[in-house]
Amino acid sequence: MFEQSSSVMKNIILVGKPNSGKSLLFNQLTGMRQKVANFPGVTVELKSGKFGEHTLIDFPGAYSLSTLSRDEEIAVEKIHEAMHDDNTGVIVCNLDATRLERSLVFGLQVRDLAKQHDKALVFALNMIDEVGRFSHQVDCDKLSEDLGAAVFPLSAKTLVGIHEFKLALNEVASQPEKYIPRQRVPDDDSVFNVSRRIAKQYGIHADIVLKQQNTIDSFLLNSVLGGVAFFSIMFVLFQSIFTWATPLMDGVESIIGWLAVAVTSVIGQGVINDFLQDAIFGGLGSFLVFVPQIMVLTLIIGLLEDSGYLARAALICHKPLSYFGLSGRSFIPYLSGHACAIPAIMAARTIESPRKRLITMMTIPLMSCSARLPVYALLIAVLIPNTTYLGGLLSLQGTAFFVLYFLGIVTALIVSVLLNKFTENDSDKAEMPFILELPNYRLPHWKPLILRVLTSAKQFIRRAGPVIFMVSVVIWFLGYFPSSEHDLQGSYLSMLGQWIEPVFEPLGLDWRYGVAILVSFLAREVFVGALGTLFGIEGADENIAGLAENIQADGLTLGAGLGLLIFYVIALQCVATVATLKGETGSKKIAWGLFAGYGLLAYTSAFIVSHIF
Amino acid sequence: MTLWDIPAKKSGLISGLDNALLPAVTNRLLEMGLTDGQSVRCLRRSPMNGPVVVQIGDCVYTLEQSIADKVAVSSLS
Repeated sequence: MFEQSSSVMKNIILVGKPNSGKSLLFNQLTGMRQKVANFPGVTVELKSGKFGEHTLIDFPGAYSLSTLSRDEEIAVEKIHEAMHDDNTGVIVCNLDATRLERSLVFGLQVRDLAKQHDKALVFALNMIDEVGRFSHQVDCDKLSEDLGAAVFPLSAKTLVGIHEFKLALNEVASQPEKYIPRQRVPDDDSVFNVSRRIAKQYGIHADIVLKQQNTIDSFLLNSVLGGVAFFSIMFVLFQSIFTWATPLMDGVESIIGWLAVAVTSVIGQGVINDFLQDAIFGGLGSFLVFVPQIMVLTLIIGLLEDSGYLARAALICHKPLSYFGLSGRSFIPYLSGHACAIPAIMAARTIESPRKRLITMMTIPLMSCSARLPVYALLIAVLIPNTTYLGGLLSLQGTAFFVLYFLGIVTALIVSVLLNKFTENDSDKAEMPFILELPNYRLPHWKPLILRVLTSAKQFIRRAGPVIFMVSVVIWFLGYFPSSEHDLQGSYLSMLGQWIEPVFEPLGLDWRYGVAILVSFLAREVFVGALGTLFGIEGADENIAGLAENIQADGLTLGAGLGLLIFYVIALQCVATVATLKGETGSKKIAWGLFAGYGLLAYTSAFIVSHIF
Repeated sequence: MTLWDIPAKKSGLISGLDNALLPAVTNRLLEMGLTDGQSVRCLRRSPMNGPVVVQIGDCVYTLEQSIADKVAVSSLS
């Protein structure tokens, strides 16, 4: 049926307005195997997958071909590129049947562009099941005629029309010249007018579709109930990151431990064995442990986004955050930052205002990411007595945890205000307003969610892995040589530690803490393991209580300990984050400036705290 | 009267966008459906002068004050 003509094997690109069911359509057409390339982030990615012998590329959603935010800029740039590309065979424009007018504004712009470049274009009229629920019928043959391009009614969710669409798409791809749009918007008319006219003729009445959404909003956006719902959802989210992810993290830890034993038992004792054990399994292992947590976080945020709640959360947070020079959209990156700064910084791409986006990215590292958790746990166990009040409901140690998280957020807000005051307000591009569509509430579909979770893990490893590996190797080398027993006490690292002791002395800390702080630039949680080695406790990661007793007996003063905690709240001790900041801001100066700035701020705060207590 | 001034649950017709808006923002608003003669309904207002929630055509949007008060609205009902 299909001859090997030149049109076969070309790319099919999928475009459409945001919140129009486009991603799900992509998943239904390509199955579970897909590649994500170029633009990592929450919504900014170019996914590609196989559709038969063709490559289907999912473009980020956009409202129009003129752009407002950075992620849409990428989308529109890519659409223009694709139009000029000879490899582009067919353009599929996804329309939301429940919001025909809005999706047509973008759809007609793309159609005219396709006509201009002699590219084949078809419309997928998605979410046809939802208008069907209100027994509304769309006359697709007539609509095709009016649009000058083929229209296929379907639902990516219930799979209605998907089989027919797949067959049709193969046919279109084999004879693209027959599907070049036959019409364009006349010069004496506008895209808006045409969209409105067509939507009025074929679309469903807005009030019918929006009824359910508005009813739910009257609860979730209610001043009282909405607030309760918001805090409950955030509470569940934090619970999920810190408690539900734990078994998964333990699982990864034991798999790595098991692998380490299996591999190192084959190789005899010696340098290579120690290198594998400590640098590879130890260093990289302590980083891989965070992968499940990032997957759980991505899952929950994905659930919130796909259900439509995230837009409401941004709306609720907009006013409070705007006092600090941030946007409601800063909320999501800040939230993700509590698991790991790297995906959070990438998520900041959806903020329209370049200035607010930059400030958000610059302050994300102050959110207490999960790598700080073991450090907090150790120091709190050392410094804070395990007393409980109100019959165990309130514990002093738990409160200390809360205070540290809170301190991170407060510092971020203060820094935002300062950055806002002291950075130039270049008036033209700086102030993009807060405009957000509130999409309909929907039950999330598992397919895109699972793919998204897997992608987040892959991207985290790809982003941070190489850096962590390099630093791992260097630190291992410094900690292993030149002493003949290869212990930390006689290593370059401890020489370095003794040499820099004067730096940490004003904080009331001796060289061992200095070394632990130095190695924790690899990843903060390495602090615990390093301190364990220096205090002569094997497996300190699993035995925090034992190490805490040792440190207590050794006599860490309350002031020095609290100072150390503050230091860890503020300092940007993560090479992978610095690398991500550099990539996303496009400025080495900003990335390393932040590293130095937060380091200085952390040191000063620790100094002050250590002298107060 | 502007979009910012419509009380909750009331509707009006859009009668123009302020020239002070950046061209990119004006474009976006037009694409979102804020064209002359389009009917608009204020669904809710947020506490402390937070963003308003409005229904414009077949979509629901939230806009902050700095932009809502630059959208002129007439014939309130």
